[in-house]
Amino acid sequence: MSLTLYHGEPNGPSLTVLATLFAKEVPANLKHIDLARGGRHSLECAQEPLVAVSIEGEGPVLVANGEAMTDSVFIACYLDEVGQGAALRPADPYHRWETMKWCRQMIERTAPAAALLGCRAHPPQADAAMLERIGSVDLRARWEQILAGQFSEEQLTDSRNKIGQAAERIEAQLTDREWLMGAYSIADLESYAWLAGMVPLVPEAFAERPRTRAWLARVRASPAVAKALSLARTPEPAASWSVGPEINRWG
Amino acid sequence: MHSVTLYHWEPNANSGKPMLALMEKGVAFTSHYLDLLRFDQHKPEYLAINPLGTIPAMVHGDRVLTESTAIMEYVDEVFPGPPLMPADPRDRWRVRWWMKFMDQWLAPSFSMIGWKVFVGPAVRSRDPQELQAAVERIPLPERRVAWRKAITGQFGTDELEESQRRVALGIRMLEEELAKRPWLASDQFSLADINGFNLAYALPVAQPALSNDELTPNILRWLRTIYARPATRACWAMGRTSMVERVKILEQPHIAAG
Repeated sequence: MSLTLYHGEPNGPSLTVLATLFAKEVPANLKHIDLARGGRHSLECAQEPLVAVSIEGEGPVLVANGEAMTDSVFIACYLDEVGQGAALRPADPYHRWETMKWCRQMIERTAPAAALLGCRAHPPQADAAMLERIGSVDLRARWEQILAGQFSEEQLTDSRNKIGQAAERIEAQLTDREWLMGAYSIADLESYAWLAGMVPLVPEAFAERPRTRAWLARVRASPAVAKALSLARTPEPAASWSVGPEINRWG
Repeated sequence: MHSVTLYHWEPNANSGKPMLALMEKGVAFTSHYLDLLRFDQHKPEYLAINPLGTIPAMVHGDRVLTESTAIMEYVDEVFPGPPLMPADPRDRWRVRWWMKFMDQWLAPSFSMIGWKVFVGPAVRSRDPQELQAAVERIPLPERRVAWRKAITGQFGTDELEESQRRVALGIRMLEEELAKRPWLASDQFSLADINGFNLAYALPVAQPALSNDELTPNILRWLRTIYARPATRACWAMGRTSMVERVKILEQPHIAAG
């Protein structure tokens, strides 16, 4: 099996996939691309439909035996299945359901909010030629909105609220445990990956939540995440953002 | 074996996904029909089961499960019967990719159009005060917004055009993918096909200019093959509305360009 992972700075979806790859000891050829400058759109596989239309936004791409795979949680599930060592999803179907449901919440509600706030604080950059290359009309529209600095107060407030709600869920979940699903799992990686960079941007979401802050530190110190963070090329990878998933069109 | 109760609306979209998955697995379940058009899903007796008021929900023993796609994966893992996920990890990734693409990108566009042409008109004739009260009972704020728009017919032209653009692109993508292999995400029937059928079973009725035997032969082959399965027949027979009756178009041997 020949695997190549094209990833950005270890934050957001790139962090989820890198940490899973290391936790599962999956050998892969690692290629750093600058997602914050739209680097994915210059890849040879950029126009393949499942890459071009990936609704995750600017995430990593894993090429496995010639097939380009996107969407970090599902790449993580794939790595969990092909890799070695402790499983990163619970064995019991009910707890697996809980894990997938948790990750769906992260993907659908937290990630768009985090990417919006992250991109406002640390804007990605693109030129006209790069924007031309983007295969998805709606992803290009999100880029243009962010490059133009178009953030409404309503959007910003809603996004901060969603970060607060994510922290609230985590705080409640950690009442009786160290990791979100009991054992260290993809849910910890995905949640940490989107929230680590939110601590300085939405401090009120974390201020009164000691269990969440302690959990963030635990995830950061876990060997797979520490190894992923060691690949950073910038001093603060959690401040590296690119365009994320869209905010649900229904509200 | 614990009993299974499914709270669902029509065999359509999210409700139809766990219905069809259970029936494909041969799992007997107690069906609890919630009339979405009567707002049954926001009544106290259902909110006691699922406080978010979203449909469907499945009760298995003392476990309550929500989120239709995640329920389907649970159903596949926990019950015996034919596997509805392929064994190969890369095929499994493809199943999940397509389900997310449909759940989060394509289906909301289909349903915006569906709510405009079916759900909105179906409830609009009711007493406005009754409707107002029903909307205020909805727990999730974004669902309140969606229902208000559906009831008052206030989906904007831009929103609807964007939905139609996505539907057209989604149809092209499905057609191209189904030209590669017999089923949507792998060489075996899977949850992605169950998910996709729930989204697309009435495609030639809803989008006759974009989907027919001339333009999208692979989509039509795929829909007819799924419709021929005994589980699908039994599942769609549980429908009560004209919306679900549209599946009968798949009984026509040839659907010409509209």
